[in-house]
Amino acid sequence: MPESRLDLPQGTLDLLILRTLSLRPRHGWAISERVQQISDDVLRIQQGSLYPALHRLERRGWIKARWGISDNNRRAKFYDLTNNGKKQLEAETKAWDKLAAAVAQVLRAI
Amino acid sequence: MLSDLNIRLRSLFRRAKVEEELDDELRFHVEQQVEKYMRAGISRQEARRRVRLEFGGVDQIKEDCRRARGVSVLDALSQDVRYGLRMLRKSPAFTLVVVVTLALGIGVNSAIFSLVDGIILRPLPYPQSNAIVHFGWMDKSLIPNLSVPEFQFCRDHATSFAAIAGFQDGEDSELSQGATKRWVASASVTDGFFETLGTKLELGRPFGREFTRPGGGHAAVLTDSLWRSTFGADPDIVGRQIVLGDQSYTVTGVLPPNFTFTQPTEVFVSLHLGNSLGDQGMNTDVIARLKPGVSLSRAQSEVRLLGSEFLAQAPPAQRQGSGILHLDRYQDYLSSDYRTTLLMLLSAVALLLLIACANIASLLLGRASSRQKEISIRLSLGANYARLLQQFLAEGLLLGVAGGAAGLAAAVASLHVFVSAVPWGLPATDRIALDWRVMSFTTVVAIGASVVFGFASFFQTRKLDPNSALKDGRTVIGPSHGPSLILNGLVVGEVAFSLMLVLGASLLIDSLYRLSQINLGFNPAHLVLMHTPFSPDMAEAKPSPDVTVAKIWSFERQALARIRAIPGVQSAAVVSVAPLHGQGNIPVQRDGHSQDSIGGTEYRSISSSYFSTMGIPLLRGRTFQDSDFTPSSHIAIINETLARDWWPNEDPIGDRVVIGEYKGHQYLQIAQPALQIVGVVADTKGILLKQPPPPMIYVPASNGLMLNGSTDWVIRTSATAGIDSSLQKAINSIAPDQRILDLEPMSQLVGGSVAEANFEALLMGIFGALALILTLVGIYGVLSFQIAQRTQEIGIRLALGATRRDIRYLIVGKAAKMGAVGVLIGLLCALCPDPAHGLIAVSSSAHGSGHFCGSRAPRSGGRTRSRICPQPARSEGRSHGSTKVRVNEAPRRAMPDTTRIRGRC
Repeated sequence: MPESRLDLPQGTLDLLILRTLSLRPRHGWAISERVQQISDDVLRIQQGSLYPALHRLERRGWIKARWGISDNNRRAKFYDLTNNGKKQLEAETKAWDKLAAAVAQVLRAI
Repeated sequence: MLSDLNIRLRSLFRRAKVEEELDDELRFHVEQQVEKYMRAGISRQEARRRVRLEFGGVDQIKEDCRRARGVSVLDALSQDVRYGLRMLRKSPAFTLVVVVTLALGIGVNSAIFSLVDGIILRPLPYPQSNAIVHFGWMDKSLIPNLSVPEFQFCRDHATSFAAIAGFQDGEDSELSQGATKRWVASASVTDGFFETLGTKLELGRPFGREFTRPGGGHAAVLTDSLWRSTFGADPDIVGRQIVLGDQSYTVTGVLPPNFTFTQPTEVFVSLHLGNSLGDQGMNTDVIARLKPGVSLSRAQSEVRLLGSEFLAQAPPAQRQGSGILHLDRYQDYLSSDYRTTLLMLLSAVALLLLIACANIASLLLGRASSRQKEISIRLSLGANYARLLQQFLAEGLLLGVAGGAAGLAAAVASLHVFVSAVPWGLPATDRIALDWRVMSFTTVVAIGASVVFGFASFFQTRKLDPNSALKDGRTVIGPSHGPSLILNGLVVGEVAFSLMLVLGASLLIDSLYRLSQINLGFNPAHLVLMHTPFSPDMAEAKPSPDVTVAKIWSFERQALARIRAIPGVQSAAVVSVAPLHGQGNIPVQRDGHSQDSIGGTEYRSISSSYFSTMGIPLLRGRTFQDSDFTPSSHIAIINETLARDWWPNEDPIGDRVVIGEYKGHQYLQIAQPALQIVGVVADTKGILLKQPPPPMIYVPASNGLMLNGSTDWVIRTSATAGIDSSLQKAINSIAPDQRILDLEPMSQLVGGSVAEANFEALLMGIFGALALILTLVGIYGVLSFQIAQRTQEIGIRLALGATRRDIRYLIVGKAAKMGAVGVLIGLLCALCPDPAHGLIAVSSSAHGSGHFCGSRAPRSGGRTRSRICPQPARSEGRSHGSTKVRVNEAPRRAMPDTTRIRGRC
């Protein structure tokens, strides 16, 4: 297990989940695998925060859940972005970019 | 939003399904992860172990998911409630004690609050009743009413009022309708009365001012109930004539069905503002309605000015009032006599509730401490503090709701009994009921208490360390300081509160004892009192009061002879007003001393055996003999107080007094001859037991003034059974239509005079006793809990050589210390000079130091007051000297009395 794992900043978990779901519906395990894989194992989502976050996003109406069949032919709960979720992803991405750019600028300037 | 609601509802109503899905989802994740590890070449067993480690507590995640889904508050609450119920069922004794304690606290609070609400808080049943004010003279501590000239002056000059009216207490009148007669309760009011109250008549209109001038017509306004019951709801009643007594009245209107007055009244008749003795006395209640936009304080200053203007310009004879003319809101005026008592009772029950809550809090605290192990397990299983708090709140809420419901049930069941036990003449007793105010009061108290209990239990567990507590649950040796401090504080508070209550009760009991020790001036044992109101039969010889007096005296003499013949009767006498049964106050002046006369004197016309029957000792001179009962004898007997006031260093025997004169002014239409004083007798009480005996003058009944034609009979008898019917027979054998009222043993009348003090002392005594019991339970609970906690410590102490005595000393010493601190605080609070903070200050200002609420009239106040109303005078158009003047110092009139007896017998 790489030592360079980072804790997720507050609020970024939702953004990551939404982004992961933007291409196609996935189940919970696939979401955490995907994030880990793309971030080269730097970001790891704890199950303890993943599932409550999924349920919270579902309640907010940004994602919706349905039961489907997984790659290995098992029943699994798949999450998909709703229209609201897409808008939310767009907005949050923009906000994040802005924040990251601003933070980077400050760090570089001083 | 829709999805939010949908999910919440789904998780609420399809909980099993949602839970199952959550299980499936998490299990799927675990299996996927295991398979991933296995693909990397790790054994199944090792993979499982690793995943479990990574995953952490599944239940914790599930709980977080539930919370994320949003119903968990509701869901958890129902869970908590079920859990709480189970816990409470498991310890029924604890639950019972808590619920009963809370029910007690809430029950007495609801009952007393209902009284306060009905009397002080709820507005009078008139539109904008806040604008209705009442006039009175602020004279020393007394607030007498106005005389007719004062009323007329205010009415003619005041600008602050939209309407102003005077009224006088009415008595029963005989309403004749053809051959049928019935007694109805009447009140005499001026024009403007209904406008002042803001009442619109259902039919017709109120009578105008022409009906209140002397010699003007007589008008009447009927209440809806009288109109329906006696006149068959006749729609043409307006303009018809009705006969009350021997006077005919024109009906001008009918009141709406919901109209109520502060005293039960069936007909309102026009009050003639004349010049009679009664009108010049301070017998007229004056009420007014403030103009819109006029503040009470503005009206107040105008009225104050009017008062001093009146005193400056009025002829000396009309200057009855002195001091400052003053306005009160009518409701405040009506409730003022009860305010102190009610506030005292209210603070007493509030203290009781505090004690009850402290008790319950300490019980809960103790219980929470003994549940440490359970709580530790729950904490280590992932329960968070907020969730624990929620659970404790739920338990508190259960107790609070159960206690509140039980308390409300107790209040509902007891309020009726309670109100009927109240000895005061309450204004509009029907207004006292448990309504939404009381309900909300109770609810707030119950929920407030629940929250307090919940927090109390919670803070006990907050600093709990799951690990150490789990190991043994009792790892701390010696007293644990956190909860003990709170518990000790609660015990100290309880002791202090109950001490204050008990002190208050003991003060009241002391004043009750002092009341019972008061010298009445007569011997009430084996004495029976009977009252015969004026009978219209006696008024035939209308123009001459002398003839009426002679007629009444002849009836009395004959009836006395019959009464004395009743077996068992030792002696019998008549008196115009018996002690504690009323007043009859008229101006009296020492002959030839027009300037330094003292005015109002209690006037009694008696038969010769009055003093011997009552057991009133003669101090000087002689009593009346049968030969004195002739029109030509002009003699009087005075009491000790009058002799001391007017003849401080002289012998009054042989000196003379003039009845009906004051400061040289003649109040009676017919001047009275001077009376020679032949004797001085010991003092007796006037209308109030609590006040010193008034100056009193006695004259022979054969040639007394006609006060109001009613008579009190005092009969000393050894027979008790059947005496009532024998007396009735004796009276009616001479006057068949004569009504008889208030037939009761004198001791009962005396008892009635102290009923109020009795009631207060009884209530406070009960509250004090309850407080003591609750406190004992509380102290016991706290101590036994603390001892249980210190079992190990005590064991070690014993092992190290402490004796049982040392241990006992340790425990008892601790209890004694808490008690001592509580007593100290209680005493300090009780003696606090600020009445807002010291219960005792309230009760002692009302009862202590020999001042026995002098402004309150006894239970029989309404009855007695009605006796001095000039019934015959009114029915005869106030044509001749109806002797009813309260010159100065007339005690404040009592509240309209619902217990007042009307038209019975």
